[in-house]
Amino acid sequence: MKLRLALPCLGLLFALPALQSATTIIRGPYLQSAAPTSMVVRWRTDFAESSIVNYGTERAQLTSSAKAEGISAEHIVQLTGLKPGTKYFYSVGPAAAKVPETIKAKTETTKATAEVEDAPGRAAINTFTTPPPVGPAAPMRFWVLGDPGTKNAVQAAVRDAYYNFTGTRATDFWLILGDNAYPDGTDSDYQKAIFEVYPKTLATSPLWPALGNHDGKSANSITQSGVYYDIFTLPTRAQAGGVASGTEAYYSFDYANAHFVCLDSHDSDRSPDGAMLQWLKADLAATSRDWIIAYFHHPPYTKGTHDSDKDTDSGARMNDMRAVFLPVLEQGGVDLILTGHSHVYERSWLLDGHYGKSPTFDATQHVKQKVTGRADGDGVYRKPRARTPHFGDINIVTGSAGHAASATKPPALNHPAFYLAINEAGSTVVDITGLKLDVVFLNDKGEKRDWFTIVKE
Amino acid sequence: MLALVLIGLSGLSTRAHPEIEDAVARINAQIAAAPGEAALYLERGELYARHEDWIAAEANYLRADELSPHLPRLAMLRGALSLATGHATEAKTHLDQALTRTPDDLEALILRARTHATLGARDAARLDYDAALARASAPAPDLFLERAALLPADAAIRSLDEGIARLGSVVTLHLRALALEESLGRIDAAAARLDRLAAESERRESWLKRRGDLLARAGRVAEARAAYSAALAAIESLPEWLRAAPDTVKLTAELARFGGTRP
Repeated sequence: MKLRLALPCLGLLFALPALQSATTIIRGPYLQSAAPTSMVVRWRTDFAESSIVNYGTERAQLTSSAKAEGISAEHIVQLTGLKPGTKYFYSVGPAAAKVPETIKAKTETTKATAEVEDAPGRAAINTFTTPPPVGPAAPMRFWVLGDPGTKNAVQAAVRDAYYNFTGTRATDFWLILGDNAYPDGTDSDYQKAIFEVYPKTLATSPLWPALGNHDGKSANSITQSGVYYDIFTLPTRAQAGGVASGTEAYYSFDYANAHFVCLDSHDSDRSPDGAMLQWLKADLAATSRDWIIAYFHHPPYTKGTHDSDKDTDSGARMNDMRAVFLPVLEQGGVDLILTGHSHVYERSWLLDGHYGKSPTFDATQHVKQKVTGRADGDGVYRKPRARTPHFGDINIVTGSAGHAASATKPPALNHPAFYLAINEAGSTVVDITGLKLDVVFLNDKGEKRDWFTIVKE
Repeated sequence: MLALVLIGLSGLSTRAHPEIEDAVARINAQIAAAPGEAALYLERGELYARHEDWIAAEANYLRADELSPHLPRLAMLRGALSLATGHATEAKTHLDQALTRTPDDLEALILRARTHATLGARDAARLDYDAALARASAPAPDLFLERAALLPADAAIRSLDEGIARLGSVVTLHLRALALEESLGRIDAAAARLDRLAAESERRESWLKRRGDLLARAGRVAEARAAYSAALAAIESLPEWLRAAPDTVKLTAELARFGGTRP
């Protein structure tokens, strides 16, 4: 979604009291395209009005303001000139232009108050923290949800398990790996499956999505049109790091010392001569980050609710991602590959070079370090700090944030590339602290069902 | 024949696509309640087509066509299916029909451009790409690349630069333009493009190496060596841990072998 021209300005110049009670926020606010000095804030109102964000580094002093031209019910405002790694308070819409006295008076906000303020439809003050400067290490936590958008109790349980797990530790950003809103990725599906399920996280943590097959029912990558492309504002010109892709279908961004690559495994050209692969090669060659993490919807390996050995399954997209893209990712030194589509959790060994069907898997050849990656077990994975082609990566299928596979007809879960495969709903949490990357799979009951560590030396 | 159509309608292979079972079941129930509703067959056909179950998709499209031949999107989807299954002439008929009914259908326009290209009708393809690119608010880079493939090198470069002007400094468009510029002997233009890419990149060395390779192929040996030396200088400016990376060590050795000198 293209940005309308945003006009940053100082002062509270946009108080429009007449409109204060005229509109209700029916979606968001939510944060997009986060970069160290900029942030896109989006929200939707029931009627068209001015798009204004007031913000500042003190709750009671939202002294800066940005607005987009014209009036709209779909608000997209880019904040620029921000300080990296800084916590900002913000409020959206004309109703927020004037900071209410009741809020001004608050110097401390309890959790309960914050929850009330964050309720949809209210003129609230939310917070975000800009990403730290690119390059130097900074601790980060990101939350990974594959196939979350079922709108059911399982999705809520997975969400709540994570909220309990993370507690007061902020989520620096989050990834959704496609099939974000069932069944058809319509605007209504997104409203119920994303915006009404994660309002707190949407308002405070930038969201980076990937396109799944269900989202693809209401979106078209070649024209970049449809619901997915309307809802999300993603970097096409390397605004958040990486190399310009020219499309929101696939993109990259940097966060501190990590580089993230999102691919469109569903609807963009996946051929070896295609633009996406050519861009990927250039993007990987250009990064100097310590960590490279790729995410997309269709897994290179799975024996869950999908079978990556079957050419007929998912239009051979899993084959393409394994045979065409995986060699480039591994040549580029990727550390972690996060996918969904299969509604299970599967986690590989530290692998390299397995590009065929599962019968061709040879542990002696493809497993680079035959340990489980656990500090409390047989040891963590160790890699050189410098980007080293084909030193090994971990593949994770984490497609059960909305539902697991049937318990009565359980999937085979027997792909030899995986150290562990679990048919449970859950989500994945990644912490990076300098040269150490920790991953946890948390099920819907809040149990840590897998964990491992990669250390760079 | 009827049996085949019925088999196709129900999509025998849904078991190969577990994810669509629920969706098909939902539409099946709707069709059972309203068997004369053409849009439901269209929806089911589209579902099958997305999973490349072409027989089931076509059977559903045919049924939709029987019930409501002017159903919106039907002709476009039949065109897409025909093109995907290698029946370009048939695809053109459907897509012409789609665009007659809905001239603003961007998806149909792009599909017809590709159909023309498949049929070797380059001018017709180019016209459709021109129209699609004019109409699309956010065209994917692929469209500029596809159009460029139909054009003489000189026009293709202009087309790619138009894409760069609209979409930003997209590396895939630059790479295609570079190859064309070199094929036309426009070495200075290609070198300038590489300079731009190097300036925009966090890792300049690989672009400078390409610059050296380009100039070496053009017989401009001294300039090539200067580019290789600049690449070595770029590597020298990297932190030690990046200089020690295997691909950087390999590149450093290559640059030295090609005549580059360290600063």
